[in-house]
Amino acid sequence: MKKITIIATLAGIACHVFITPVSASDTQIIYKFYCAQCHGLTGKGDGPNVTKDFPVSPRNFTDAAEMNKLSDADMKNVILDGGPSASKSPMMPPWGKTLTGEEADGLVKHLRTLCKCEGKKS
Amino acid sequence: MRALLTVTISATCLMAMVSVSKADPAAGQAVFKAKECVACHYTEGPAREKTIEDQLAKKGPELWYAGDKFQAEWLAGWLADPKPIRPMKFNSLTEENAGDHPALGAEESATVAEFLMSLTSGEVEAGTVKVKKNAKGRQIFTKKMPCSGCHQYTGRKKVIAGGRSGPSLVDAGVRLNADWILAYLKKPEVFKPVKMMPVFVGLLSDKDMANVASYVGNFKPKKKK
Repeated sequence: MKKITIIATLAGIACHVFITPVSASDTQIIYKFYCAQCHGLTGKGDGPNVTKDFPVSPRNFTDAAEMNKLSDADMKNVILDGGPSASKSPMMPPWGKTLTGEEADGLVKHLRTLCKCEGKKS
Repeated sequence: MRALLTVTISATCLMAMVSVSKADPAAGQAVFKAKECVACHYTEGPAREKTIEDQLAKKGPELWYAGDKFQAEWLAGWLADPKPIRPMKFNSLTEENAGDHPALGAEESATVAEFLMSLTSGEVEAGTVKVKKNAKGRQIFTKKMPCSGCHQYTGRKKVIAGGRSGPSLVDAGVRLNADWILAYLKKPEVFKPVKMMPVFVGLLSDKDMANVASYVGNFKPKKKK
C-alpha cells in the first residue's frame, strides 16, 4: 500500500513538472493559425473558408447563448475528435493528431474569453 | 555558299535549342539566386520549421522538395506566366493573393524548372498512386475529412467550390505529382512539420490517403470537344 502511495505521489509530481499549461499568448497564436481559417480571427465564424457554398456555419464563439450550451469537455472533444464526435459536421476536422491535450485546454479557455461565458457544467 | 550558310545557321539554332532543353540544374540554380528567389523560398532540406512562428516568418513556400511535388511541364509554364495558386496571400487570412509573383523569361523558366525539379526528398515512392475518378477519395475529400473546407476544387457543373485558406486544388493533377500528395499526407513531419492543415496520420488509413491522392491527382481541365 505504501509503495502504491509513493508511486502515485511521484506520478503526480511528474505530471506537474512535465504537463505545463499552454500560455494565453501561445494559445492565441495557435487559435489564429489553425482555428481562424474557419472561425475567423475574432471568433465570429467568418474565416476566409466560409464562402457562400460552405455547407455549414462555423460556430460563432462570441455567441454566449450558443456557447453556454457546451461544457468545456464538449469543446475539447470536438477540437480533438472533430465535429462528428458531438453529432456535428465533419467540416470541423479532428485536430487530435495535430494539437496536444494541453493546447486544446488552452483553446477552450480562449474560447471562453471570446464568449465571455462559463458554459454548461459537465 | 548560301546553302552552306543556311545549314550552318540552322545547325547553330538547333544546338541552341538543344542546349536550352538540356539546361543543367546548376545553371537554373544560378538564375534562381540572381533573381533573388531565395528571399522567399528555401531550397535545401530538411524542413526548417519547428514552430508556428517559423512557418509565419516565411514569405513563400519551401521548394526543397519541388522535384517531388510538381510536374515539370507545369512548373516551367507557371514560372513564365505565374497565376495565383492560393486565393489568399501566403500565410495570410485577411489579404487576397495579389498575383504579383515575378515572371521569368521563357529560357529562364526552363532552366529554373530544371533546377527545381532536381530537388527531391528521397521520401516519395514513384508509381504508387494511380490517378482516376476515385469515388472513395471523393467521399473523403468532400465529406469524411473534408479537404474541400480549405481547398478550392472544381465541383459539380464545373463550379469552383471549396475553402480559400489553403492552396487551390483546381486542376491540381496538372500541377502536382500524385505520389507526392500521398507522401505529404503520410509523412507531414518530413515535408511540412508545421502547417495549417490537420495531421491525418492515424485518422485516415494509408489506403484512404492513396484514394485521396488518386482523386486529387485526377483534377484536370476538361478537354475541349
